[in-house]
Amino acid sequence: MGWEEVQVRGYPEFVRTAQSYHGRAIFALFCGDKDAEGRSWCPDCVTAEPIVRKELHNLPDESVFIYCLVGDRAYWKDPNNEFRKNLKLTGVPTLLKYGTPQKLVEEECFKGELVRMLFTED
Amino acid sequence: MLRGLGARLARHGSCALTGIIAHLRLLPPPRTAPGAGLLCAGAALSRGKPKSAIINCKNRCAKYCPSYIPLPSSWAVSIPFFHVVFTGKNEYDLLVIGGGSGGLACAKEAAQFGRKVAVLDYVEPSPQGTAWGLGGTCVNVGCIPKKLMHQAALLGSSLKDAQHYGWSISQPVHHTWSVMAQSVQNYVKSLNWGHRVQLQEKKVKYFNIKGSFSDPHTVRGLTKAGKEVSCYNIVIATGGRPKYPVHVAGALEYGITSDDLFWLKESPGKTLIVGASYVSLECAGFLTGIGLDTTVMMRSIPLRGFDQQMASLVTEHMESYGTKFLKRCFPTKVEKLKSNRLQVTWKNADLGTEETDSFNTVMWAVGRAPDTKTLNLEAAGVKTNSETGKIIVDASEATSVPHIYAIGDITEGRPELTPTAIAAGKLLAQRLFSQSSELMDYDNVPTTVFTPLEYGCVGLSEEAAVQRHGSDNIEVYHAYYKPLEFTVAERDATQCYIKMVCLREREQRILGLHFIGPNAGEVIQGFALGIKCGATYPQMMKTVGIHPTCAEEVTKLHITKRSGLDATVTGC
Repeated sequence: MGWEEVQVRGYPEFVRTAQSYHGRAIFALFCGDKDAEGRSWCPDCVTAEPIVRKELHNLPDESVFIYCLVGDRAYWKDPNNEFRKNLKLTGVPTLLKYGTPQKLVEEECFKGELVRMLFTED
Repeated sequence: MLRGLGARLARHGSCALTGIIAHLRLLPPPRTAPGAGLLCAGAALSRGKPKSAIINCKNRCAKYCPSYIPLPSSWAVSIPFFHVVFTGKNEYDLLVIGGGSGGLACAKEAAQFGRKVAVLDYVEPSPQGTAWGLGGTCVNVGCIPKKLMHQAALLGSSLKDAQHYGWSISQPVHHTWSVMAQSVQNYVKSLNWGHRVQLQEKKVKYFNIKGSFSDPHTVRGLTKAGKEVSCYNIVIATGGRPKYPVHVAGALEYGITSDDLFWLKESPGKTLIVGASYVSLECAGFLTGIGLDTTVMMRSIPLRGFDQQMASLVTEHMESYGTKFLKRCFPTKVEKLKSNRLQVTWKNADLGTEETDSFNTVMWAVGRAPDTKTLNLEAAGVKTNSETGKIIVDASEATSVPHIYAIGDITEGRPELTPTAIAAGKLLAQRLFSQSSELMDYDNVPTTVFTPLEYGCVGLSEEAAVQRHGSDNIEVYHAYYKPLEFTVAERDATQCYIKMVCLREREQRILGLHFIGPNAGEVIQGFALGIKCGATYPQMMKTVGIHPTCAEEVTKLHITKRSGLDATVTGC
């Protein structure tokens, strides 16, 4: 069975979802909320998303890809938001392998080879 | 002619002689080539030209051009100001074997100059099965985890001191190994990942395979596929691994080394560390600091190679701190008991007796050996020191084989330190690919032993200064001081000591500085610059100290050993 994608919004939903997939490799892409037209307030996220999606076919079997919208710009800017406090995120977009120190932050997400490396290497 | 040549090259990407797809690169003329610009007189495109001209050109290219790959099919064409060399496909400008401090620094520096670089890194699991990621010894099983665990231990002492400063902390404080280990191990893993990302971003090709020489310019990856990489310039930077004692039964099966200690998930418990190196003392130091029953077994002197007066002060402090020492003892066997504890038997050389005790963990810190076993250096013709097994290099890090270099712990006669490996690697890349001729300066390299009371030093030990200049020609200034922070905390400062060895004559140049005290590494780093610049005793005395610090005591040294006066610093 290949990989599967789940889309979530906000910290509590993210945590619940990640916990429900405990035992499987979990990759997560965190982006700013999208408006009614589907555009994110975060320009870097707009750039990164198609690049990340292009590499999704490299995800290992049985793994889970969680696409997580973190919230609106004001929520994100708050230095005490749960993503910053608990997941130690420093910026969006962030692409990470849950439970490991492996992550790509902001412009690092623009590089297809780095995304591929995150998905395929131990 | 140029336009025609360009057109011909553009049309036919392949070598006219053999049809092998060629990789064309334009390179600036090498510095040492005779006559700037035009390099090979009479050389030309091979077709229809005399073989001798081609061979002459090849020979000169091989001598002067760092990127020249001596393949039978390669041929050179000279164009004014550029030297065009065809090489076979899949070639690299630089192959680095070993992805540690030296190897990665060299590879990344070479990549900065637009060169094609590949790094091979592979960690052979320890006998106990421990392995780790990219970054080498320092990142994974050396400096980094060591300093973090040393810090963990120091914090324990701070917690004890805190009461005196008004904090209510319930005593005794308790330490949980697994919490510390997980934090440290996670940090190390983030460094492994950081290095992976860096290599990728700098376009350095990375192979997680063990390399072995098939000939001086071919390295075979020891995988099922057995992929071969040919390269003209090769840097060996495979470092070292801990040694196991040879004549101690049970050493291999039951003992661990520093390779394993930092990756233990559970506390090592009551530990015996065999060895007198800084690895032994630093590990014993932090294990004691986090509350474990720790014993160090030493056959003879501590910290061989370091100033011995300072080494004694270090071990004295460790003893008062709680580490047990078995001096002049050496182990004879290690057995496993039914309780799973390890029974160690040893001989006491002074008393002529045999003793035993049981421990949860036995760690060997009896030296490190160069990692050359699977390199197959004989196939490359690289010479090693018959006693140490380390690779012999000259001042430019070149081995006995032209265009094979070696840096870091694997090299004979060099300090086994991360900063020297990094600097040597960078300078080597600059010499190879960037018209530099700067050699690595191994003089006055500062270093620090991170025992519970740290010892930092730069320059000569007192013994080395005496040997080099004669005791009549040197002056040793010294002082016993007390860090201000120790006073209120009622901490014993008996071993807090500074010693400065100077020449007696003329400007009284400082030959060596030795400091035992908190943050010794931070203290000595700044003074290392002074020593590098040839600082003198009068200049040091003119340097105003920062108050209140421990470091200021260096600028106030005035009692000489020769005077026999009491060297204890009195109040300000």
